[in-house]
Amino acid sequence: MIHLKNVTKIYEQNGVTALDNVTIDIERGEFVFIVGTSGSGKSTLMKLLMHEEIPTMGEVFVDGRDVVRLSRKEVPYLRRGLGVIFQDFRLLEDKTVYENVEFAMRVIEAPSHIMERSVNAVLDIVGLRAKSASFPAQLSGGEQQRVAIARAIVNNPQIVIADEPTGNLDPATTWDIMDIFLRINTAGTTIVMATHDRDIVNKLKKRVIEIENGKIIRDQVRGRYGR
Amino acid sequence: MNFQNIGYYFHEVFLSMIRKRWMTFASIGTVTVSLFVLGVFLILVMNMAKMAAALESQVQISAYLVDGLTPENRAEIERMTKDLASVAKVEYVTKEQALKTLEARLGEQRKILDALGDSNPLPNYFLVTVKSADDVKKTAAAIADLYGVEEVKYGQDVADNLFDLTHLVRVFGGVLMVILALATVFIISNTIRLTVFARRKEIAIMKYVGATDSFIRWPFVLEGILLGFIGGSISAIILRSFYSAVTKKIYATLAFFPLVEQYPFMNYLTLGLIISGMLVGILGSTVSLRKFLEV
Repeated sequence: MIHLKNVTKIYEQNGVTALDNVTIDIERGEFVFIVGTSGSGKSTLMKLLMHEEIPTMGEVFVDGRDVVRLSRKEVPYLRRGLGVIFQDFRLLEDKTVYENVEFAMRVIEAPSHIMERSVNAVLDIVGLRAKSASFPAQLSGGEQQRVAIARAIVNNPQIVIADEPTGNLDPATTWDIMDIFLRINTAGTTIVMATHDRDIVNKLKKRVIEIENGKIIRDQVRGRYGR
Repeated sequence: MNFQNIGYYFHEVFLSMIRKRWMTFASIGTVTVSLFVLGVFLILVMNMAKMAAALESQVQISAYLVDGLTPENRAEIERMTKDLASVAKVEYVTKEQALKTLEARLGEQRKILDALGDSNPLPNYFLVTVKSADDVKKTAAAIADLYGVEEVKYGQDVADNLFDLTHLVRVFGGVLMVILALATVFIISNTIRLTVFARRKEIAIMKYVGATDSFIRWPFVLEGILLGFIGGSISAIILRSFYSAVTKKIYATLAFFPLVEQYPFMNYLTLGLIISGMLVGILGSTVSLRKFLEV
């Protein structure tokens, strides 16, 4: 599903080596935690998958697409196969919960007759159907992140990429969110999650890839946060 | 672009235009002013060309005589002119008659002639009507060679001057248009840039979920087109009433003045202005998008 081979990323502007000869293979349906301190290269790794950054060297394949050689026109289609979730939710404040989710379908020009059904279905999954008409400002942080998850999965992506999705949430809410991720994963979606949260990594015992100074220092099935 | 999105696009565009109404107002204003000036120049150039053409086709030649000719000299000139094959009619106009005609033409301003006192600087002349406009130049040259004829004037002469003037107006108008067009593109692109900025969060999300570039671009281009369309329409409306008022006024006093008829000229002008406005709008939005949509 995701295949990185000898990937090195050096940022031209400041000469920083964010990733150094990284090789990762992630299979369909896996749940993978990417752990490491800030600035370790986690975010760069996420960006490479989305074609937000291009590696300086090496190969990146996502869902069979050669991300490095992707033309500008093909990038949107790569991204339609990826659901992206951020620490800061990134919802549109002037749109309702329903509209925020629908927006993701509308802008990829999904057929309108399936929109309502799909949006309601994902709002059911994240448990926010009752708050369809609320605006983001009226929701708690956890609820806002659930809207963001609904938006990320409404187009049925093969892979969900989450960059510190629980970073702004309290422990109880974090578990609500993790519960949703686990359910999505059980339904067959590959999940790659960068996180700082020691507790969830240790309790869930999923595959853990640890990055330090741009290098993979650990890749462990049923791993823990630290060694 | 597919059909179900048109409603969405228009909704977005109207929303953004209302949100930053002052920039919208300024953009439409610049488009309107620029296109209005373009229209005025077009009207001017078209009418000058028409006037020149009308003068060119005039078949009358004025042959001004030197002062102090004897009646015999004058009769000789008249006879020889009439003998020319191309001449249809010869009419003698005395300097007194010429002065009266001038007085009449000056109307209210005839007092300036008081400065002349009793003297009359106008010459006697023959008004020669030629059978065909094609013969004017040749005939005028022949008359000019006659003894006692000081100078000949005819329509082509004036027409040539008018053509030169038209050319000047055209060049000046062209330069002014380029400057105004650049200013318009600049202000539209700034307006669109504001929209892009106001919606940068949406644009980022659109990109993350996989919207195509063209989908993202459309609302902005549409906004540019709409700004240009509205500006073009307003300038056309103003120009139409302006030209209608001017033609009415001129025809009221100078019934035979060779103006370009209002229709279909004004319809073409309207169409031209609206299309120009939309093109400028497309250009303006493209300029701002090229910079801002790169990711």
